[in-house]
Amino acid sequence: MLVAWRYRERRSLVQWFDPRAWFIFYASFLASTLLFWDFRFLAAFALVALLVLLTSGITWREMRRPLLFIFAFITFFALLTFLTGRGGIEVYRQEHLIGKVVFPFSLFGWQPTIHVTWERTFFALSQFLRVFSLACMTIVIPYTINPAHYGITFRGLGLPDKIAYAIDLTMRFIPTFGRDFQLTLDAQRARGYELEKIRGGLIAQVRKMAPLIIPVTIHAIIASEDIIDAMDLRAFGVGPRVWLETLEYRLRDKLLIGFSIFLFLACLTLSFFSYGKFWVPPVF
Amino acid sequence: MSYPLVWVNDLTFRYRDRAQPAIQDITFEAHAGELLLIAGASGCGKTTLLRCLNGLIPRSYKGELKGEIRLDGKPIAPLPLSRISQIVGTVLQDPERQILGTRVRNEVAFGLENLGLPREEMLQRIDEALCYLGIRHLRDRETFYLSGGEKQKVALAGVLAMRPKILLLDEPLASLDPASAQETLRIVRQMVDEGMCVLMVEHRVEDVLKARPDRVMLLEEGRIRYLGDVAGLYEVVNYREIKLPALEILKRARHDPPLPVLRVLPSVRSGANNDRAPLVRFERVSFGYETKPDVLREVSFEIHRGDVIAILGANGAGKTTLVKQAIGLLKPTSGRVLVNGVDTRQLSVAEIARTLGYVFQSPSHMLFAPTVYEELAFGPRNLEHPPDQIEKEVREALEIVNLSGKEKEPPLALSFGQQKRVSIAAILSMRSRILIMDEPTAGQDYRNYMEFMDAIVQLPNIEAILFITHDLDLAITYANRIVVMSEGRLVADGAPQEVLGDAERLHQWRLVPTSLLRLNLEMLPASGKFLRAEALAHLDSPGVREG
Repeated sequence: MLVAWRYRERRSLVQWFDPRAWFIFYASFLASTLLFWDFRFLAAFALVALLVLLTSGITWREMRRPLLFIFAFITFFALLTFLTGRGGIEVYRQEHLIGKVVFPFSLFGWQPTIHVTWERTFFALSQFLRVFSLACMTIVIPYTINPAHYGITFRGLGLPDKIAYAIDLTMRFIPTFGRDFQLTLDAQRARGYELEKIRGGLIAQVRKMAPLIIPVTIHAIIASEDIIDAMDLRAFGVGPRVWLETLEYRLRDKLLIGFSIFLFLACLTLSFFSYGKFWVPPVF
Repeated sequence: MSYPLVWVNDLTFRYRDRAQPAIQDITFEAHAGELLLIAGASGCGKTTLLRCLNGLIPRSYKGELKGEIRLDGKPIAPLPLSRISQIVGTVLQDPERQILGTRVRNEVAFGLENLGLPREEMLQRIDEALCYLGIRHLRDRETFYLSGGEKQKVALAGVLAMRPKILLLDEPLASLDPASAQETLRIVRQMVDEGMCVLMVEHRVEDVLKARPDRVMLLEEGRIRYLGDVAGLYEVVNYREIKLPALEILKRARHDPPLPVLRVLPSVRSGANNDRAPLVRFERVSFGYETKPDVLREVSFEIHRGDVIAILGANGAGKTTLVKQAIGLLKPTSGRVLVNGVDTRQLSVAEIARTLGYVFQSPSHMLFAPTVYEELAFGPRNLEHPPDQIEKEVREALEIVNLSGKEKEPPLALSFGQQKRVSIAAILSMRSRILIMDEPTAGQDYRNYMEFMDAIVQLPNIEAILFITHDLDLAITYANRIVVMSEGRLVADGAPQEVLGDAERLHQWRLVPTSLLRLNLEMLPASGKFLRAEALAHLDSPGVREG
């Protein structure tokens, strides 16, 4: 059975709007964020995303685990970017040194040194803000959008019935997959299997993951077949669908859609005229 | 006489990837206001026949189909599934596999939405279906949080809302607690009395008799072996293959030689180990999730050497959560669980698995290996048993579950019933001292599960067995101790005759007395303890009481 996300009705900014209007705003926000590398622009986007998160009505207890995981993930990659300078070469060509960190030991004659430059620092910060904004905006969706409205939302956005229902099922398949993974992990642990004891090279490690990967995959296939049978037996896809749930746009939804379109066009124009490119403070 | 709603003539079907037909030369008809019970062992073709009737064969399952089916007077071969689904509704074995909607009203509306009905008519039909089944109050509830019985009714409501004339039910009682099963049967009979034609596949024949089926079809290896009234079935069927009412077994078994006496847990009876300390001890264990804080409430009990414990209780009573505490997969939020005197918080699951083997409910969550042999060797290898010992353990485990000769076959290619037996053998091969099984008989036919339960309780190395079940007769037949869970609390713990003797209390725990229970209660003064019907038939024979 498909598991639903932890949705409930909350007093929140997201739920004040029609889900279609919110998805349009979400898409506009995502596309606009990805147009820029300027720390100041991205800081503004991050502020909006943080505002959305804080007004979402999701309690700290509910989102603690996924949020901390995402935060650790983003921090790790931003730090990696900072230490290695990877990726930055696409947006800056010169680097200006702030200082050097020289480690007090050497490895086979090579002394590890980190060159801390303005460009690396601001590139890593910009990257952090970009992903942080996208993550904050995305994480609120499963908690605040009614799963019973997934299908009609995407249908209402102009997608055909079959695609809209497929997205609905896919969105619910993610937590279902998580539950099945946990059940399989429990079943194998009860047979003495210990994930933490897996050793060897990459291929050996993947092979030793088979007791988890195979049942979860097979279970997903069986569950998909069951879903297809259940849908076929109730005449899915034989003609145009009439959705039981209905959604009505209100004035505020129309305003949000208008603002979303304006935001994207404005950002596109700014980007076209080279605003919002990579920026470092003019200190040198 | 009314014209047949179901008319099947000379039907044969072979799946594309199989050499033999799954069903052959099936000819029968069923009428409005008739309940036809379709019985037979696993793999006899019951589900294939239903798939032919609801149109999934040949539309979703490809193969070679011969013969003709007419539903409501119309040949279904040229009809699209949408048309067939308005004549015939299908409720699958496990309602969890059928429910698509996140909320009850969306689930019931699914078929109506696909038919493109106006919204007002949908709402009216949803209300009608929910009211008919007495679940109007569930209309806005999330389907995920419903109990097993409620899910079954919601799945049924989704089908009834499409107003079919024929209803196909594929083992509708399999995942239900006894009270929910009885309620389902009552509803089925009501629908039949109001003119619906219902075909019900079920190998729990005795249970279905409460719905007074008009006729029974017995399938054997894809062919009809018997088609007629219930009384006639008793004449042709082997009571060791199909579960019949206890009185019927008693009557028939008197003419057969008595069953060999079971030597339950022989290692304990031999007195090789006189240690009286509990193997597992629950001390005021409470447990809850964020969304459901009171799954277990201050549960205290012990598992001792020689115990064969059946855990009974309604769906959602906390049975599975309780046994997951014992293996250490879950840790108590308060209280503690001791395995061999050590707190499970200080042990890894792998360490506990050396003492305690746990068979999960669904085999598809654990089977992964390319061969049955490898599957069974996985656990012992993890526990670092020597290779020559592993071979012996695998061979013995396969014998117990009656799968010898299947060592080289891929487990995932076996039937569901065989997969379930592989999953049990995979734990048996680990040679744990305590065996815990969650619904060991689900999806198994009567003969198979009685045979492997006989073998399991006589295993030489096992010191205690605990199994979760909805099948009261399984508990009566094999357990020497019964534990009842209700709403997270342990509400009864004792010998079967002590716990199951009070009808009022059984009703409170959503348990329904069976014919075997009634017979045992009647004969208790003579038998001294609960026995299976075959043993009661030979009560005056020597040796039976020791069984």
